[in-house]
Amino acid sequence: MKIMNWKNTIGLFFILLLSGCVEPYLPEVMQGPNSYLVVNGFINANGPSTIQLLRTQNLDEETMPPAENGAIVMIEAEDGEQYGVHQQGNGIYVSADLTLDSQKKYRLFIRTRNGREYASEYVEVKHTPAIDEVNWEPVDGKVEVSVNTHDPANDTWYYRWEYEHTWHFRSAFFTPFKYIDGRIDYRDENDEDIYNCWKTEQSTTIELSNSKRLTEDRINKYKLLAIPSNSEKVAIKYSILVKQYALTQEAYSYWETLKKNTEEIGTLFDPLPSQLNGNIRSLDDSNEPVIGYISASTMQQKRIFIDSKELPREWSLFAPSCYSDTMYLAQASVVDYFKEGYIMPVTGIYVGGSMSPIGYVYADKSCVDCRTAGTNVKPYFWE
Amino acid sequence: MANFYRKLIVLVLLITSAAGACFAQQPAEPRIMGTYASTPFQEFVKDLEAKTSYRFYYDAAATDSVTITLQAQNLPLGQVLEQALKETKLQFAISGQKQVFITANKALLTSLPDDFFNEENQKAVGKQPELADLYVQQEAPTRRSGSELKLYEIGVPGNSKNGKASLAGTLRDASSGEPIIGANVYIESPAIGTATDQYGFYSLTLPVGRHELKVRGVGFKNAKRNIMLHSDGRLNIEVEEDVRSLKEVVVEAEKDRNVRGLQMGMERLDIRTIKQVPTAFGETDILRVVLTLPGVKSVGEGSTGMNVRGGSTDQNLILLNDATIYNPSHLFGFFSAFSPDVLKSVELYKSAVPARYGGRLSSVLEVTTREGNKKEFTGAGGIGLLTSRLTLEGPIVKEKSSFLLGGRTTYSDWILKQLPNQSYKDSEAAFYDLNAHISHEINSKNSVYLTGYLSKDRFKLASDTLYRFANYNASVKWKHNFHNKLYSVVTGTHSQYNYDISNEQNEVNASTLAFGIKQTGLQADFNFFPNEKHTLDFGASTIFYDTQPGSLTPNSAQSLIKDDKLQGEKAMEAAVYISDQYEVNQRLSISIGLRYSFFNAYGPRDVYTYAAGVPKTEGTITDTVSYASGKSIATYHGPEFRFSARYGLTDNSSVKLSYNRLRQYVHMLSNTASMSPTDTWKLSDSNIRPQIGDQIALGYYRNLRANTVEFSAEAYYKWMKDFLDYRSGASIIMNHHIETDVANAEGKAYGVELMLKKATGKLNGWVSYTYSRTLARVNDAGTSEIINRGEWYPSNFDKPHDFTLISNYRFSQRFSSSLNFTYSTGRPITLPLAKYYDGSSYRIVYSDRNEYRIPDYYRVDLAVNIEGNHKIKKLAHSSWTIAVYNLTGRKNPYSVYFKSENGIIKGYKMSVFGQPIPTVTYNFKF
Repeated sequence: MKIMNWKNTIGLFFILLLSGCVEPYLPEVMQGPNSYLVVNGFINANGPSTIQLLRTQNLDEETMPPAENGAIVMIEAEDGEQYGVHQQGNGIYVSADLTLDSQKKYRLFIRTRNGREYASEYVEVKHTPAIDEVNWEPVDGKVEVSVNTHDPANDTWYYRWEYEHTWHFRSAFFTPFKYIDGRIDYRDENDEDIYNCWKTEQSTTIELSNSKRLTEDRINKYKLLAIPSNSEKVAIKYSILVKQYALTQEAYSYWETLKKNTEEIGTLFDPLPSQLNGNIRSLDDSNEPVIGYISASTMQQKRIFIDSKELPREWSLFAPSCYSDTMYLAQASVVDYFKEGYIMPVTGIYVGGSMSPIGYVYADKSCVDCRTAGTNVKPYFWE
Repeated sequence: MANFYRKLIVLVLLITSAAGACFAQQPAEPRIMGTYASTPFQEFVKDLEAKTSYRFYYDAAATDSVTITLQAQNLPLGQVLEQALKETKLQFAISGQKQVFITANKALLTSLPDDFFNEENQKAVGKQPELADLYVQQEAPTRRSGSELKLYEIGVPGNSKNGKASLAGTLRDASSGEPIIGANVYIESPAIGTATDQYGFYSLTLPVGRHELKVRGVGFKNAKRNIMLHSDGRLNIEVEEDVRSLKEVVVEAEKDRNVRGLQMGMERLDIRTIKQVPTAFGETDILRVVLTLPGVKSVGEGSTGMNVRGGSTDQNLILLNDATIYNPSHLFGFFSAFSPDVLKSVELYKSAVPARYGGRLSSVLEVTTREGNKKEFTGAGGIGLLTSRLTLEGPIVKEKSSFLLGGRTTYSDWILKQLPNQSYKDSEAAFYDLNAHISHEINSKNSVYLTGYLSKDRFKLASDTLYRFANYNASVKWKHNFHNKLYSVVTGTHSQYNYDISNEQNEVNASTLAFGIKQTGLQADFNFFPNEKHTLDFGASTIFYDTQPGSLTPNSAQSLIKDDKLQGEKAMEAAVYISDQYEVNQRLSISIGLRYSFFNAYGPRDVYTYAAGVPKTEGTITDTVSYASGKSIATYHGPEFRFSARYGLTDNSSVKLSYNRLRQYVHMLSNTASMSPTDTWKLSDSNIRPQIGDQIALGYYRNLRANTVEFSAEAYYKWMKDFLDYRSGASIIMNHHIETDVANAEGKAYGVELMLKKATGKLNGWVSYTYSRTLARVNDAGTSEIINRGEWYPSNFDKPHDFTLISNYRFSQRFSSSLNFTYSTGRPITLPLAKYYDGSSYRIVYSDRNEYRIPDYYRVDLAVNIEGNHKIKKLAHSSWTIAVYNLTGRKNPYSVYFKSENGIIKGYKMSVFGQPIPTVTYNFKF
């Protein structure tokens, strides 16, 4: 045991050496004088394009990102061909279902409500090859999801992915009861299923790869994400929809820099965060920073499912656990306990052969009603 | 001891009898007129020497408190002395050769007992050790001198034409035969002196006659030699190591070099100093100690990259016995690649770089290994928590040649395997370095030195990527003394640095990235001492570069990696130089130097040409020019001026001024803040210009308390142009047209460095404060991107305030401690200005480059040295060093950064050594 401790002490040196010591830190809040225009989205060459117009915020602002509403947004070709992109929601602008000519170059034009004009550079339309496979495999206690693709024409080279993953989950406790009108009743088939739910999340990281250094345009096992074996995501059934976009070299370089600046930072050998210029400019003031990069391409997508039964048997998967307590009707009324809806009854406490409970085991709503964390509407694609 | 004196007596005898002198006769004594009232003994003697043709011999220490009060009215010398010394313990004796010997307590016999030559009486002679302390030997042209009391007669009387003669020789350690660098060899009246060079060699031009030659330096006992200089001659001096100062902090060898020397902006660190400073892993680390000097900075703790007076990390010429070292560190910079036991000293030139050196803009770091013990076989070593080292040395031919072999390795690989965590078990960490040095004195005029150095690293850190680094260096030196006033050193060097990074996890992308640079150089340096006013250095050098800037090769059968190789680069750098150090008078000395350097990049290579006046991008390539093998691609050349001057204000204060220009033809490509494992080197060519730097420095130096405390203040201003900065998102690895991703930056740096040192005594060390700024600007039409709108911005290592205290206190002979304190302003970083939502995640908009700073840095280190006993006869001398690095455990930030995680922005502060790190090292010497 003593020897082991000694080894650990020396091991500590290495941990120090390799990882340094990282702690959360917030320096004095920086206040930017401006709120710059942010342009999200891409020109979809084969379908509707969705563009989001927002404004930057100071770092400490907790509010929703301010949307730029009431702007005129157009997709324009070099030869003057124009398509309107119309506002459909808060800062969201959507075009009609378009099929763009891959021989032409297109740009996004924006005139904000205050009359300022912005435009992206004219960009070529990239054709995105199909996703060959989305694979998963268990590695070191994690489910690694990766993507394979290739371009038989050897003409794409630069790729970006986004994904949307959805998983089936259950609340910690199944309850046969419901609280209604001051009493506890049994749930029936007309009551909603609050035990089985689904949750969907979008990718939050920038996933990029290129095949420029290879002899053919092929991406092999690009790792999109790794899900720990004890994650709720793979406890029952999991699905991931991978979206693939072909990029130009310039666009790739933009996303790569953005990734380095905002995700791959915090090692001893960090490149310096560098200035990032997108391809959108103010037509009125060329020095005005505008955030975003507009590409034009088609999109390819592919969905797979991972059933927990397929995972290695030795893995201990996520099982929801929650704290529960009991209440006795002799001491308190169900109204007092369950009226507000924060806690919910789980099981009844019975004595002897009596059919009426003397009390209930109850738990927090979030342990019983899965809708607090997701939706009980089964997604249309769910198998 | 008795035996020693007997030999002496016999020698004296032989010589005196050979000279045919009659030692029993006494000539008539001169008569003295004079009045002395409380006259110091030495003045009294001088007066007598002036009035008579007699020479006085005495021990200054025994007579320095003696004063003479006497009135002499035409008295014979003997009587004068008798009166003068009657109140003292001093005795005198007058010899037949007009010599007067003053001794304490007992008078010297100036003649041998009558029966001296009688064999049976010889034993009895040994009981009269004071018979004579003098021997004169005129045959041997060079001798090794060991006695302070002897009079060394040098040269042939009457051979000097102009009343002057040159004296040269080598200063060595009496116990090991190692040459001693940077010690002062001088006479006081008239004040003529010099410092020994890196071979321990000195050369002085002195008036003929009798002198007391003094030798002073730190680490050995002060010594002096009485010489009688007749004509040009040689005197090798051996001095004894000063055991008491074994663990003292030694800042510089020469106690008054600060004020007296012409050199400025130079720091010399003795290995003993270096060993004193606590480091994070208990390893003696020369680069860490260099980083504590004023004017030297780094971006953070993990980095050994030095920024000297605002220069970037590639602007330092690091020489190990004259061979260039490209990567001076192990384990990504956590350990320096020099094993401490083989080193002798480290010299850093921050300004007034001697004309002999060139090729880098900011500094020269000259690392010198020891020569090895020429007298006996010895060894030394150390066992630390992560590494161990062993050095062996000894004579090959006694007194003539020696070897030195040093090695160091880490057992961290084994430790990693013991750790329970799987990811550590999958890691590998190994490094070692080897030093070999042979020095051989062919004869008194010729010496050769051979050095070999190898360092290797191999790392795999919980990942599938294997890093390997290697330095290979070799140098051969031939030193030839033409005569006392001229010697030459011809040096051949070869340096090579390679790394490769292999990735094998994904079979389709499995590949090896490799980089290599080789340089082979030849140089000839001449040192000429025409007279006591001038020292001339001149020489020529040439370096051939051959780099392999990068290759990417598949390393598995399934790999689809395209075999890709950047074109090799070849170039030649040559220089001629001359400099003259001229001592105008006692107060003013100047040094003027000119180095003319020349660089030629040659083929075979294909080079892109770009449209003029517009940013270099792939789109502006106008042509590709193919150069055949050996065909010149681009040529650059220009003068590099070196000037320095010293003006002595008083005996212990001076002002110095220097200006120098340097040109640099090789560039390190790195877009990380610290030196990173993937940095590569690029040679200048038709698209990348050489860097040019100018520096002007002014300094004030003052020594206090009998040269034990030194104060220096230096101010400098520096301009640099055409050093490399990078476009945002620049790709510097496997880039076939790197010129499109780099920007020519210009820089300016200025500052004031104040330093107070105490080199000796129980408490020693130094305190320094530096105020400095370093600014950069990219404002070049050939750059596709202008950083911070072309305005000046602080560079990554711009830390205006810097305070360092290095102190050592010796409690007893065996127990000493050192305490270090460092404070500096936090380094500049680029922080977010605003955030935005990109549709799925919050992201950051950055401010202008380096607009903010991380919190200030401070750190306290403590170390305790416990020496074993000082018995002379024992198997091994050992010592323990117990140290705590970062005693207060302050989490000094290395960086502050913001990251998008799960869609939101989080701020972090990273520190490298965020808690106190205790270490124990066991050192031994046998």
